[in-house]
Amino acid sequence: MSLLEIKNAKLKIDDKDILKGLSLTVNKGEVHAIMGPNGSGKSTLSYMLAGRDGYELESGEVFLEGKSLSEMEADERARSGLFLAFQYPVELPGVGGMSFLREAVNSRRKFLGEEELDHLAFVKEARKVASKMFVKDEMLKRAVNVGFSGGEKKRFEILQMAMLKPKISILDETDSGLDVDALKIVSDGVNAQRNDDNAIVVITHYQRLLDYIVPDFVHILSDGSIIKSGGPELALEVEKNGYAGLINAA
Amino acid sequence: MLHNVKDNYITSVKEYVSQFEEKSFRKLASNDFKSWPSPREETWRLSRLGVLSRKKITPITPNFQKKNASLSKFNGSKIIRFVDGAFREDLSSKLPPGSSLNILGEEDSLRCFHKFKDSNLKDHPSTNVSFSCTPSIVKLTIEKDVKLRDFFEIIYEGGDNNLSVHPALYIELKDNSSIKVIERFNHLSSLIMPLQLVELKTNASINSLKIFNDDQQSYNLSANCAFLADKSNYNSFSLIKGGLFTRSETHAYLKGENCNLNLNGVYLSSKNQHHDLTTAIYHDVPNCTSKQIVRGVLGGKSTGVFQGKVRVAPDAQKTDGQQMSRAILLSENAIANAKPELEIYADDVICAHGATVGEIDDEQLFYLKSRGISEKKAKQILITAFLKDIINESVEGSIQNFVFEEAELTLSEIISKEI
Repeated sequence: MSLLEIKNAKLKIDDKDILKGLSLTVNKGEVHAIMGPNGSGKSTLSYMLAGRDGYELESGEVFLEGKSLSEMEADERARSGLFLAFQYPVELPGVGGMSFLREAVNSRRKFLGEEELDHLAFVKEARKVASKMFVKDEMLKRAVNVGFSGGEKKRFEILQMAMLKPKISILDETDSGLDVDALKIVSDGVNAQRNDDNAIVVITHYQRLLDYIVPDFVHILSDGSIIKSGGPELALEVEKNGYAGLINAA
Repeated sequence: MLHNVKDNYITSVKEYVSQFEEKSFRKLASNDFKSWPSPREETWRLSRLGVLSRKKITPITPNFQKKNASLSKFNGSKIIRFVDGAFREDLSSKLPPGSSLNILGEEDSLRCFHKFKDSNLKDHPSTNVSFSCTPSIVKLTIEKDVKLRDFFEIIYEGGDNNLSVHPALYIELKDNSSIKVIERFNHLSSLIMPLQLVELKTNASINSLKIFNDDQQSYNLSANCAFLADKSNYNSFSLIKGGLFTRSETHAYLKGENCNLNLNGVYLSSKNQHHDLTTAIYHDVPNCTSKQIVRGVLGGKSTGVFQGKVRVAPDAQKTDGQQMSRAILLSENAIANAKPELEIYADDVICAHGATVGEIDDEQLFYLKSRGISEKKAKQILITAFLKDIINESVEGSIQNFVFEEAELTLSEIISKEI
């Protein structure tokens, strides 16, 4: 059974067709990159998968390990193992980083039938993971994303991913706003989590990120559907010729 | 113990009250309070007292046998207790050296009365009624250079159906003194009309916490007047959660330079409660700062009101006045009103204000849910954060948890009904 299966997904926002029959199959152990120009529907795709209100499919279906997502709220999807790393992580004033992480991790653990972590055990685990992501203790004490730099926000996203151990992670333009050093830290964090049991979908404009997170498959998203799929070489083609050539050819 | 003041006070109040409306002293009270401000008066437009004028209310005769005193919530605090509006020495603590509590005689009562009368609280119904009906005006004095670390815990309780309660407290802090005060209102089915006068002398400092938690049949119309001298500091936080109708009105006069005033507050409202925080800050001299941060969470058919007036006199240059009000509505039938009023006559000042009323932020909610946190829990987290933020900013460290727990108790009731 494939891990994630999107079948002919169609979605409208304000009466405008955004996804026009998108299909994609992701198996365990795979990394897929979805590339596309501005306005091709990349962020809509990630919100649709994560279950944001207002991004319900008009037709088509999405399955996570054979289970339809259409009846599942965002929180249920997340507990089932779907993770979205936000392009613009949201600030939560007054919500401490550590307690936020603990609430999230314990929600997932409860769902998996695992014991919830007590405060001490959790803090220990969080610190261990955080140090690998170069996230300072002090950052975990602050309110979530409040006053974080662009790089800190993205590192905190990947830290959450590492703590939640999702089956499938959607990384929405994780490279945006990152300098080369930050990009390397974030990519190393992602790569460290790749294994045979999970899968990653990287959504990006640029080929640059794919030098660090090397995909098995590359898909070109244009005007709401995937117009071409291939291996990593497809990303290089985009880099060389731009999207226009591919779109015209399709 | 009861009013030992003589003719002058009585004549004076009588005269004053009769201007308020053509009813005389005491008679005013015993013949129903008919002289409520009408909704045409701007400051009472959003908080109407019509219901009260249709009720027959008489002033309570304090029962000095009542012993059903609620317990202190703090170790080591000095308790000052009012039952039915009357100070109860037998149920209060012995005060520490450097502080004293006295029942004012005629002359001092008159002086206190005139201070109120000269302020813009002169038309407040509690001013008019409570100066006539209070059993006595009690004065807490803190001597020069005395800085007390233990809390004064002032408990107001008692009351009875269709009776009114009139505690009156005058707090004077002499030069360089400081205290911390926690006031708790816990009345039963009454109309409570507390008066409070606070005078801060040079470099004096007060940290004040007020928790309004009267039962849900009660009306509380609290009137507070504060005068701040040079370099004094008045830091106050009000938590309004009880009563059917609770309005806390505070007027603060910044009379000396370099003083600092915070009048922050939170209201938590449900069912058909009406909560109102009304403030007026008068910057009369230069170089003072004032801040008001008010937050509300409303459910049911409740109403919340914040009215904040800041007046900066022509001479009050370099004033820094901040005002921010935010309310979250958890029910379609709840209403939040915010009315900031800035009157600025000086040109070199910083004055900012803002007001928002709305639901829980969509994006924040989605972010939490996308991490596997249920919608109910996510809303709880966001509302809690909304309150924690301001409590931590307004209240000193050692009592933050206490205030937060007091708030959370009410909050979880509201949330369990709405989400």
